[in-house]
Amino acid sequence: MAVQLRNVRKSFGTVEVIHDVSMDIAAGEFAVFVGPSGCGKSTLLRTIAGLEDTSSGQISIEEQDVTWTEPAKRGVAMVFQSYALYPHLSVYENMAFSLRLRRASKREIEEKVLEAAAILRLEEQLHKKPSQLSGGQRQRVAIGRAIVRQPKVFLFDEPLSNLDAELRVQMRLELARLHKQIGATMIYVTHDQVEAMTLADKIFVLKGGIVQQSGRPLDLYRDPDNRFVAGFIGSPAMNFLEGTVTGREGDLTILEVDRTEMVARIDATPAPGTSVALGLRPEHIRVGETGLPVRMEMAEELGGLSFLHTRRPDMSEIVVEWRDGEHARMGETLHLACSPDKIMVFDTEGHRMR
Amino acid sequence: MMQIRKLENSILAGGSLLAAVLWTFPLYWAFITSIRTEDRVVSDAAGLIPDEFNLTAYASALFNTKLLTWYWNSIATSVIITVVVLVSGMMCAYAISQMRFPGRKLLYGVVLASFMVPSQALIVTQFILMNDMGLINTWAGIILPQLIVPVVIIVYKQFFDAVPKEMREAVVLDGGGDYTLLFRVYLPLNWGITTALAIITFIMAWNQFFWPFLVVTTENMMTIPVGITQVNDAFGVYYARLMAVALLGAMPVAVFYLIFQKKVTEAVMISSGVKG
Repeated sequence: MAVQLRNVRKSFGTVEVIHDVSMDIAAGEFAVFVGPSGCGKSTLLRTIAGLEDTSSGQISIEEQDVTWTEPAKRGVAMVFQSYALYPHLSVYENMAFSLRLRRASKREIEEKVLEAAAILRLEEQLHKKPSQLSGGQRQRVAIGRAIVRQPKVFLFDEPLSNLDAELRVQMRLELARLHKQIGATMIYVTHDQVEAMTLADKIFVLKGGIVQQSGRPLDLYRDPDNRFVAGFIGSPAMNFLEGTVTGREGDLTILEVDRTEMVARIDATPAPGTSVALGLRPEHIRVGETGLPVRMEMAEELGGLSFLHTRRPDMSEIVVEWRDGEHARMGETLHLACSPDKIMVFDTEGHRMR
Repeated sequence: MMQIRKLENSILAGGSLLAAVLWTFPLYWAFITSIRTEDRVVSDAAGLIPDEFNLTAYASALFNTKLLTWYWNSIATSVIITVVVLVSGMMCAYAISQMRFPGRKLLYGVVLASFMVPSQALIVTQFILMNDMGLINTWAGIILPQLIVPVVIIVYKQFFDAVPKEMREAVVLDGGGDYTLLFRVYLPLNWGITTALAIITFIMAWNQFFWPFLVVTTENMMTIPVGITQVNDAFGVYYARLMAVALLGAMPVAVFYLIFQKKVTEAVMISSGVKG
């Protein structure tokens, strides 16, 4: 394992922000910590970097216990959200800085800096100061500074948050390419689930300092353990409908939502009368003659597909993905249905009933 | 509307001109006095227009007084004070701004409090201390009490506080310690403020009169401002020579400022561009 956390806890004063986190990240894996702000993802990354001490637990990097090792000796390199480039140094000197501190030879420094510059296509910018670079170039310099150190693990703390939308997509692809090219273990923190889905080999979804679920992006999308993960992964987010169990027919559980019957195929057998939440992904909802009545409110046209925003009688929203050309007009009543295999059921505490 | 604007501009220009004349006049008067003979200076005929160009006063100032020795004393003490004040000030500010240790806030409180004590209030105790240490009539005696400049610490601390936390963390991850941080990151990042503080401290040390006047009694150890008081003899004051010494004494500071003024502007621009 490249990185291993065992029962890591972190408190600031009396407030515990990381609760007993254990995780394994394999060598060469691109792991992403994702979650809303304040979920502890950055703190966890900083704990791995050694910028924060753990309150208890153990952190190992390549089978070595580094819990109390100085940050510089852990073999990690970090790319910060604000880039943290040294403004008074040129791009070359920024990348050479850590090597100079290590008293590397002039030749070694030049070799490594030029190699990193070639990977990141920064050869033309080496003599420039960071203030003369664009946001994307600055970000690449920050990554270059990490590459020259040849770390065991790359740590990225929301590295794309300061870029505009277009550049963010471009840099995301470059990061994916870089990971393929150098094959290093990378840990990446973001609050953007799209970034997490597109980059990660393995996602760790965090909330309240607890890992809610970890796994491959599509596994998390298709098979979330709880309502939080189900709602967080996927864009637009999953629709949740409060309902009641009314009975069972074979392996189908009958549910009632807004006086409409819906059916889910789950193995669990909740007693009739149990309150549950139904989870429906926008792309799994069908518009038909029968089903849950909703009022069409607005459509988001994205060209090839549209997202229809509809309201239930209780005014809560349901988003439906629509790919079939002309869609309903505003104010019209639609009837929504979903295949029993695609409906997810969650108990009142948010745990998935499978 | 245009006319009101014109009138406003004229009033402003007139006011500025008057201020400039008022400010320059003493310098001008000192200059025309210094190029007159002593007799001419005290005669009724000495008007506002230069009517003589006589460099005797300058020759006399350079060769009949110890001006060159005073120059040397002034330059040496001012440079030492500037260097020590800046280096110790930036290190103290770095510690207060960036390091976490018990008593940090109290220490900063003491620095702030010392800022509020007028130096005159400490003169007697400082004199007794220097006397007890046998430092009267020495450079050390002139320099030591001038090394406490809390404003340098306060200004540096504020600038160090403004350096983003990530910059520090990046250096820590790169394997650098506090000295790397201070001398290779924080100092170059705040080069503008260092230049500005160096100029202010140097000029303050150069112009210092009261303390060197008390602690030095032999002509050989005097600095220029103190030396000026010696340019008279039993027959009274030699105005032309006095003005010549004063102008020669002020010249290095003026030249120093003029050279570095450009640097200050440059440095401030660089640091603001870099921060932007």
